Amino acid sequence: MRPSLHDAERRLAWLLLAPALLAVALLIAWPLYVIVQMSVRPGKALAISELMARPLGTANFERVLHQQALWDAFWHSAVYTVGSLVPAFVAGLLFALLFHRAFPARRWLRSLLLLPWAVPGVVVSITFLWMLDASYGVVNAVLRDLGILSTDIAWFVDARTAMAAVLVPTVWKSFPFFAITILAALQSIPETLYEAARVDGASAWQRFRYVTWPGIRGPALLAALLNALWTFREFDIIYASTRGGPAGATETLGILVYREAFESFRFGTAAAIGVLMLGTATIFVALSMRVLRKEFA
Amino acid sequence: MSSRLQRWLWFVLAAVTVALVLFPIYWMVVTSLLPSSIVLSRHPPLLPPLEHVSLDAFAGVFRRRPVLTWILNSTLVAVGSTLVSLVIATLAGYSLSRWQTRAQKVAGAALLLTKMLPGSLIVVPFFVMFTTAHLIDTRAALVAANVAVGVPFATWMMKGFFDTLPRELEQAAAIDGCTPLQALWYVILPLARPGLAACAIYLAIVAWSEFVFARTLVTRADLWTVTVGLQSFVGEYLVDWPALMAAGVVSLAPMLVLFLLLEPFLVSGLTAGAVKQ
Repeated sequence: MRPSLHDAERRLAWLLLAPALLAVALLIAWPLYVIVQMSVRPGKALAISELMARPLGTANFERVLHQQALWDAFWHSAVYTVGSLVPAFVAGLLFALLFHRAFPARRWLRSLLLLPWAVPGVVVSITFLWMLDASYGVVNAVLRDLGILSTDIAWFVDARTAMAAVLVPTVWKSFPFFAITILAALQSIPETLYEAARVDGASAWQRFRYVTWPGIRGPALLAALLNALWTFREFDIIYASTRGGPAGATETLGILVYREAFESFRFGTAAAIGVLMLGTATIFVALSMRVLRKEFA
Repeated sequence: MSSRLQRWLWFVLAAVTVALVLFPIYWMVVTSLLPSSIVLSRHPPLLPPLEHVSLDAFAGVFRRRPVLTWILNSTLVAVGSTLVSLVIATLAGYSLSRWQTRAQKVAGAALLLTKMLPGSLIVVPFFVMFTTAHLIDTRAALVAANVAVGVPFATWMMKGFFDTLPRELEQAAAIDGCTPLQALWYVILPLARPGLAACAIYLAIVAWSEFVFARTLVTRADLWTVTVGLQSFVGEYLVDWPALMAAGVVSLAPMLVLFLLLEPFLVSGLTAGAVKQ
């Protein structure tokens, strides 16, 4: 029997999708499976065949959960995620509102404003390392000249300021994402709504509260969720500037996993931390989906 | 207040904002153009003294560090992974856009979830896998790793572009005797060219910026990419800041050009949440 056109089309649909699924199976699903296997099969082995031969056990997780470093890293990840999300969101929102107005050369200024998004994390790190240098950094120099600072602050080197120091470049790199998303949402709000609000005598704040915010809330919350997930796993900016130091002050989960694997060469415990990290992210997504579903329903 | 004046006031506010936001890039460029004797100062001049401006730091860093090799490696990895990802993602994005069965939707959602994976975690099994496959210290390993993170997202981007093209195009092509694959090749892809360009630029920027795979999966210094090379300056006893900033400028310049080409698509074309490395 000849296959119907419908069957042929369905085969084509899967055929076109196959390379992507193959890539994901080989380069995402299989690695994830290896991580889980590593976390539940304690002991040292690098080859996958050796790894699978070892007995199951919870030693990796017990070891990790008893480490103060893990709980510190959880806390640092939370501080880092919230501490960069809030300022980046506010900055992105303000910039989007500003750039939604009509003014000359808006198109070019907008391109320039969003530029930090395209700067590689490592380049962002070295630039801010230089700007926040204790002796010769321009930030300390300006603060000294303004009389705000009497002694030099070694931003990245002092354990008390290191977290703030890695947050600044993170915010700088991530605000364009909010600006882009919110700007796109603003453009979808019909101008007639604003006219109606004006006719009704709404103040600027009321127009924002009852016209603008409802129009951008959905996309803005989704952007916040995605950004939180990305910041939660951020590696480049922190590792390239402090490597998680000084004294672990900026050691987030993403850094801890890497150092455990490639500085201490304990792949099993690194995998266990990774599993806990993915679990946390999954719970976070599941909780946020409830909020988001209401938004987009 | 006239609306004309108002527009210029908004322009001034926007211009000042942009100037403040871009100060780090400005400072990187200024530092790269000045000698250490001026840069290492308690009161660095905010405007560069023009009589001291020179390209010496660029010449110096190219002489003392294999910056050209780093750039070559980054280019090879970025071009390779962009091409592979783009082909895979275009086919998959087209499939997800045109045939929306339940299984396709599940496959699409699975692709999206992979964006959650931390690079510093997935690199652990990559290291094990590539060691087993004797691919450590090859550019192929870096291309494969970049494809892994690039494909899921590029697929969604391409799906979004294909969604904007009406299905009547294929129906018309079918009436003219095209097979579905011919319709994709001769009708849809030419129309999707702006989308393909945006997607390619996005993939190239992400691959060029990539750090954790390049730091881990190659150890030989002659295979370092730009990001690994730049990071190797950090933690040296005396950092040569003008040289480091010069290397930073060189590594950033191609991304800025690509970004200015990509930017129009970012606001107009993409749906919410579609852009981020």
